[in-house]
Amino acid sequence: MEQAGWILDEEQWKAWAGSLPASGCRVIAPARGPRGEAAFTKTDDADQIARGYPGKTQMSPKEFLFPRSETLFEFRLAGNTVTLVRPPRSDNKQVLIGLRPCDAAGLRRLDEVFLQDPADEAYEHRRNQTVVIVEACTEATPSCFCTAVGGSPGGTEGADLHVTRLGGSGRILLRAITQTGSELASAASASWARATEADFAEAGDQAEAVSSSIRRQPLPARTPELLEGSFEAPEWEVVASACIGCGICTYACPSCSCFDIADTGGAACGSRCRSWDSCAFGEFTKHASGHNPRPKQSARYRQRLMHKFAYFPSQHAGQLMCVGCGRCIDLCPAGIDIHQAVLALAGAARAAHRGADEGVPV
Amino acid sequence: MSKVAPAGSGYQTAGEWAPRIVAFTCNWCSYSGADMAGTARLTYPANVRIVRMLCSGRMDPLFALKAFEEGADGVLVSGCHPGDCHYVQGNLYARRRLEIFADLMELLGLDPRRLHFAWVSASEGVKWSELIGRVTRSVLEAGPNGEWLSAPTAEFSSAKLPEPGPPPRTAPTRDANAATTSHLRQLARRLLEEGEVSRVIGYAEGAQSDQMVPAFVETPEDAERLVWNERCYANLANYAVHRSGGATALIAKTCDAKSIAGLLRENQLRRDEVVVVGVSCSGIWHGDRLAAKCYGCDEDVSPLADWTVGPDGTARGSIPAAGRDTSPDPRDAALEALSSLPPDERLAFWQGEFDRCIRCYACRAVCPMCYCDTCITDKHRPQWISAPQSGPGNTSWNVVRAMHLAGRCSDCDECARVCPSGIRLDLINRSLAQGIKRKYGTMVSADPAVKTALTTYRPDDAGRFV
Amino acid sequence: MNATAVETLVPILGSITEVREETHDVRTLRLDLADSEEAESFTWRAGQFVMVSVFGAGESALTITNPPAQKGFIEVTFRQMGTVTSALRRLSEGEPVGLRGPYGNSFPVEEWRGRDIAFVGGGIGMAAVHAPLWDVLGNREAYGEITVMAGAKTVADLVYRNEAGRLRDIPGVRVIQVVDPGGEEPGWDGEVGLIPQVFERMGLSGRDTTVVVCGPPVMLGFMLQATTRMGTPPSQVITTLENRMKCGVGYCGHCNVGEFMVCRDGPVVSGEVISQLPNEF
Ligand SMILES: Cc1cc2nc3c(=O)[nH]c(=O)nc-3n(C[C@H](O)[C@H](O)[C@H](O)COP(=O)(O)OP(=O)(O)OC[C@H]3O[C@@H](n4cnc5c(N)ncnc54)[C@H](O)[C@@H]3O)c2cc1C
Ligand code: SF4
Ligand code: SF4
Repeated sequence: MEQAGWILDEEQWKAWAGSLPASGCRVIAPARGPRGEAAFTKTDDADQIARGYPGKTQMSPKEFLFPRSETLFEFRLAGNTVTLVRPPRSDNKQVLIGLRPCDAAGLRRLDEVFLQDPADEAYEHRRNQTVVIVEACTEATPSCFCTAVGGSPGGTEGADLHVTRLGGSGRILLRAITQTGSELASAASASWARATEADFAEAGDQAEAVSSSIRRQPLPARTPELLEGSFEAPEWEVVASACIGCGICTYACPSCSCFDIADTGGAACGSRCRSWDSCAFGEFTKHASGHNPRPKQSARYRQRLMHKFAYFPSQHAGQLMCVGCGRCIDLCPAGIDIHQAVLALAGAARAAHRGADEGVPV
Repeated sequence: MSKVAPAGSGYQTAGEWAPRIVAFTCNWCSYSGADMAGTARLTYPANVRIVRMLCSGRMDPLFALKAFEEGADGVLVSGCHPGDCHYVQGNLYARRRLEIFADLMELLGLDPRRLHFAWVSASEGVKWSELIGRVTRSVLEAGPNGEWLSAPTAEFSSAKLPEPGPPPRTAPTRDANAATTSHLRQLARRLLEEGEVSRVIGYAEGAQSDQMVPAFVETPEDAERLVWNERCYANLANYAVHRSGGATALIAKTCDAKSIAGLLRENQLRRDEVVVVGVSCSGIWHGDRLAAKCYGCDEDVSPLADWTVGPDGTARGSIPAAGRDTSPDPRDAALEALSSLPPDERLAFWQGEFDRCIRCYACRAVCPMCYCDTCITDKHRPQWISAPQSGPGNTSWNVVRAMHLAGRCSDCDECARVCPSGIRLDLINRSLAQGIKRKYGTMVSADPAVKTALTTYRPDDAGRFV
Repeated sequence: MNATAVETLVPILGSITEVREETHDVRTLRLDLADSEEAESFTWRAGQFVMVSVFGAGESALTITNPPAQKGFIEVTFRQMGTVTSALRRLSEGEPVGLRGPYGNSFPVEEWRGRDIAFVGGGIGMAAVHAPLWDVLGNREAYGEITVMAGAKTVADLVYRNEAGRLRDIPGVRVIQVVDPGGEEPGWDGEVGLIPQVFERMGLSGRDTTVVVCGPPVMLGFMLQATTRMGTPPSQVITTLENRMKCGVGYCGHCNVGEFMVCRDGPVVSGEVISQLPNEF
C-alpha cells in the first residue's frame, strides 16, 4: 500500500496541531505534572500541544477513554417510581496527541474488552469521538520493553495519525494511518509537502536505532503456553514475594481494564458509578461469605501476569495484553519488574519441559 | 452564594440560608444537658441536629467528615467534663484525638469557625443553650460550607513550595557502601549458618539501578545478593510480620527501626521474631537530592538494633556514630509556607492534591503501621468513604489515613515516596507529628515500651474543648 | 442478549410483586418488569442469572429460579449476606428494583433427555438447581428417574421446604431432605448427615445419572469425589460457579477462573471443565 505522508516544518506542525482546540476539539497533550513528571493533560496551549517530550508519561492515557470514575446513571425515587438519568455525553471530538506507540497499543487492548459484543456504550461513544496521534519514540527508557512483546518505538498500532520527529532536523514526518486520521489532517494537508520514500526510510531507521537501544530481552516464543502450564509453579511465590498489594501497577497500566461498580447516595436519589479496580487488592475477589478464591498476594500477582501474558492472548488470537511500556516497573514501590518476572516464569516452565523431555525429574 | 440570614434574626427564614449544624453529644452528660435546656424552655437556635453517642470517646473523626460531606456547615462535639466521664476516661482520650483532628482540619484549610468542642454536664442546660447560640453565630459568620466539596482551583501548587536547602551531609562513597555491603553479607551468612534466623530481609540490586529491591535471603550462599547503598529506600519492617518458621533478621535504617518498634508496641510482631540489623546510614538519596526526612535525622543506628553494621565493621548491639551533621527539616519550611496562606487557599491547595488521588492505596500498602485486616475504606456497611475516585471520597480517604497514623507514624515517609500522584502525604504526617510534640511533648518513640501520644492522656491536657 | 436493555450497564426497571419467606435469611421474590413489551421479550434459559439492582445499595448476581416456560415474570431466591442482599431484604411488595440480563450460559437440559437426573442442592445452592429442575419436570416424560436432594445445616434452613410435597406427587420423583448432624428437630423424618455421604449411600446408578449439584465449595469438592467413586463421568456432573462479579458481561475482570469467565462462559459448568480450571473458585 502506498503510504500517505507529509513533511512539515516545526512552524507548520505547530500551526496545525496548535489550532486543533480552536476547531472545537478537546485536546489532550503531554504536559508537566506537579512533580515535573510528564502527564497527559487537557490543554489549549499551542506550544504545549506541539512541543513533544522525552521518554513517556508517568501514567498512561487510558483515563481519557476509561475514566478513573464515571457515573453510569443517576437515579431518583419518588414513592415506587424510579427515574434513571444518564449523564450527558459530549459530542466534541477528542484528540489525544503525543501518545507513544505503546500507549496507543494499550488503547487497542481496552477496545478488545469494552468493544466486544455487547459493547460498553459509554466507552464506545468516547472511542468514536477520539482521534489518536502517536509520536514515535526518539529514545527508550530503562524500563521500556515494547520490542519484547511485539511492539516497536515506531509502531502504528492504534494510531490514526503518526508523527516522527526526524533526528534534529526540525522536520516532522506526519503519516495518516486511518481514514479518521487523514480527515483530521485534510483541512491543512493540501499545503504540506508530500513525504518521499527517503523520509519514510529515515523514520524507519530511526525506529530501528531506538529498538536496538532497548536492552531488555524478548520473551520466549510461546510464552502464553509456557505460563499457562505453570499455574502451580513455585516461582510465583518468589517473584511476588515483595508485592505489597497496592494498585499502582494496574492503575498506571495502559491496558488494565478492571473496574468496580458502586452506588452512592441514599434511598431517594444517588448515582451508580464505576471506578478503576485492581486485581492486586484482596477484596477484589472476596465473596460476601468471606471465602476468597485468591487469598494470597502471590495468587493476585499471578492473576495480573497470567491475564496479560496467558489468558488474554488465548482469548485474543495470541495477542499479549501487555504492551511493554514499563510503567509498572518504574512505579512499583517494591521494585517488582514484570518483564523479569515473565522471563523467570517462562524460563522455569521451559526448563521443566526440557527436564520432562529428557526424563530428568523436575 | 445564597443569602445569609443576619445573626439573631430567627435563622430559619424561608428561602434564606440557615446553617446546618450536627452536634455529636455523649449520652450521659451533654445529651441530658440539651434535654435539660429543652425542659427548662430555654430558647436556642433550631439549627442543630443531635447525634447521640455513648461517650465522646466514641467520636470518630469520620463522623465529622461525613457530616461535612453530607452538607453540614458546622460540627459540634460535646461530652462530660473531665473527671465526669461515665466511662472514667473516654473524654480524655477524645480530647487528644479531636485536638489533633482539629489541627489537621486547620492544616487542610477548613474554616475553624465550623468545628467546635465543649464540655456540657447534665445540669448545664443554660450552658448548652448559650453554647448553641455561640456555635450558630460562629457558623453563620463562616457562611455556607460550599467550598468543602467545590472543585479545586488551586493558585498554589506543590511546585511553589520552598525547595529544600543544601543537604547537611554528602552521599556515602562507593567504598563505604562496598564495605558496609561486605559486612552485611558476612553477618547475614553467619546468622543463617548458625541458625539464629531463618531468613534475612535486606536489599538487592533490581533490574533497574535507581532503586534497590527487597531481598528475601534464606540460605547462607544467597547472602551474596545483599547490598547496601543510599538507594535502599524501602522500609522493610512490613515484610517481617506474619512470617512463620523461625526468626527474621531485618536490615533497618534508623527510621525503619522506629516502625519495628511500633509493630512491637502494637503486638504485630514479637521481639523474639526479629533480629534488628541496624545500618549506619547517612541518608537516602535520589540522585543528588537527600530525602527530606534525613535532613534533621540526628540518630544514627536505632537503640533497638541487635547488630550495628557500618563501613567500619559489625558490632553487637546499637553503636551510634558520633557527631552527625543535621540541618532544619525541609518539610517544616514547606509547612510554614502553607500555614502562611489564607485558609481558603490552603483548602484549594489540598483539594488539588487530593483530587489527584487515584485510590491505589499504595500509601496504605507500604505503611508498616497500616495493618488492619479490613481497611475502613473497604468496608461498605455503611460506606464511610465513598468509592468514586474523586472529591469527597478522596478527601475522606486522605484524612482518615492521616488520622489513623497520628501519633503512630514512624516518619519513614514511605507513603509520600510511593504515591504515584505525588501527594504531599509527608507534610500531613509531619504537621500532625509536630503538633503532637508541641502539645504532648512526645514524638513516636524508638522504644516499644513508650506509649504513643493518642493512646494516653494527662488530666490537664490543653485543648479546644470549652 | 436481551434486546430491550437501553445500555449494557443500565438496568431496566421492575418491581417486586410477591415475597415468599423460605427460611429466616432466605427469601424468594417474584419480579415483574415495569414495561409490558420488555416483559414480553424477556426470555431466558434455566441456569442464567440476572443482575438485580437495589438503587442506592448496588447490584447482585442472582440466578433466575423459575423455569423459562413461565413467561412474563422472573423469580429469584436470595440469602441475606451483605450490602445489596440486605437492602433487597428491606424491600417489600410494590417496591422497585432494576434488572440486567439474563446473562451467562445455561444447563444443557436437552442433552439430558432419556437419562436419570439427580438434583442436589446445599443451602442456598438449591436456588441454582431450581430452574433446571422445574424445566425438566415441565417435560417430565422426556426424562428418567428424578431425584431431588435438598440439604441444609438445620431443618429450619432448608430452602423450598414446602415444595417437597408437590414434588413427591409427581410420578418418578424422589425427594430426600438432609440436615447436618445436630440440625434435626424432634419428629424429623428426613436424613441426617453430610450430603455427599448420604448421596453416595442412595444406590443411584452412577453411569446413568446426570448429577446437578450446587452448594458451598467444600461440598462441591466432596460431591465430585463421591460421583467419581460412583462411576459418573465428569461430563455428567454439572454445577455452577459463583465468583464475585460486577458487570456480568465480561468487562469488569472480577470473575475469571483462569481463562474461564464465569459470567460469560459460566456459571454452569461440568465436572470435566472444572477439573481443567485452576483452583480459583
Ligand atoms: C452467577 C451467580 C449467581 C448467583 N445466584 C445467587 C442466588 O440465586 N441466590 C443467592 O442468594 N446468591 C446468589 N449469588 C451470590 C450473590 O451474588 C452474592 O451473595 C451477593 O452478590 C452478595 O452481595 P452483597 O452486596 O449482599 O454482599 P457484600 O459482601 O456486601 O458484597 C459486595 C459486592 O461483592 C460482590 N459479591 C460478594 N459476594 C459475592 C458472591 N458470592 N458472588 C458474586 N458476587 C459477590 C457483589 O458484587 C456485591 O455487590 C450468585 C452469584 C453469582 C456469581
Ligand atoms: S503490564 Fe506494565 S509494562 Fe505491561 S502494559 Fe501494563 S504497565 Fe506497561
Ligand atoms: S498512594 Fe497516593 S494516589 Fe494512592 S491512595 Fe495513597 S494518596 Fe491516593
